[in-house]
Amino acid sequence: MHQSGDAQPDFGTGQKTLGIYIVGFISCVLLTILSFWAVMSGLFSKMEVLGIIFTSAFIQFIVQVICFLRLNTQTEQGKTNVMSFVFTLVILVCIVAGSLWIMWNLHYYMM
Amino acid sequence: MHADAVVVHDHHGEHDAIDVFGFWLYIMTDCILFGCLFATYLVLNTPHGPALKDYLDLYDVLVETFFLLVSNFTFCLAMLALNQNHVRRVQFWLFITFLLGASFVFLEVKEFIHMAGEGFRWDVSGHASSFFTLVGTHGFHVSCGLIWILFLIIQLPFFKITHIMRRRMTYLGLFWNFLDIVWIFVFTIVYLMGAL
Repeated sequence: MHQSGDAQPDFGTGQKTLGIYIVGFISCVLLTILSFWAVMSGLFSKMEVLGIIFTSAFIQFIVQVICFLRLNTQTEQGKTNVMSFVFTLVILVCIVAGSLWIMWNLHYYMM
Repeated sequence: MHADAVVVHDHHGEHDAIDVFGFWLYIMTDCILFGCLFATYLVLNTPHGPALKDYLDLYDVLVETFFLLVSNFTFCLAMLALNQNHVRRVQFWLFITFLLGASFVFLEVKEFIHMAGEGFRWDVSGHASSFFTLVGTHGFHVSCGLIWILFLIIQLPFFKITHIMRRRMTYLGLFWNFLDIVWIFVFTIVYLMGAL
């Protein structure tokens, strides 16, 4: 698939091709439907549903980052983007997991 | 192919690349903002007070999700049209993106009004406050994105497709895609987990 605009600067956001967008779009649609179906059908136990929706959200996150944000390490700028992205993920894990851990502990000692 | 790419990367390109990296850093800080709101929501997600479950219509949420997902895809089509230098086609796809985004915000506001009317107001419990703050902040970002899209639609015929417009479209693309990624976690953690 050769788009006429292939030589445009991409600012480290990857080359744009229709093919990869369609792949990303279809997989996101399928994963979204899977998540909603798992909850709305009522066929699964609570733990199973939680497992399904979180796995599906995680895969969808990866698909979006690769297919739409087009994060890549091919160019110098792509690499700095990925590095700041990884740094942000580390901070996010600290904030979210840390808050839950501390609050759960407090809750435990207050009982 | 590689030789072409080098020719296009004149110093406009380099400046723009640094600017886009700056915008990327802004997006990363916005991620941290949403991370804090998610942490707050999860911590305050206690069984006291009215439960979100009783006021929720998952079909509405599914429709909202699809509006946002399709708008993300149409924005990508606008980016492709931009690379092929079709001003009209870029405007057309941006307009479709705008309509889908506006439908999303409309449905969300309708849902909020319905919930508030039924008694799940932002002031009834910490859980409700954190719910409205998290989802509302996302909705506010989408609304800002919509205004931004309108500006670009109006600017396009005047500026034509130059490196400035390309840079602006790249910013908006990152922003719009980021909102869709945040929404994945909103519907999974807030709505689907809330409905269990």
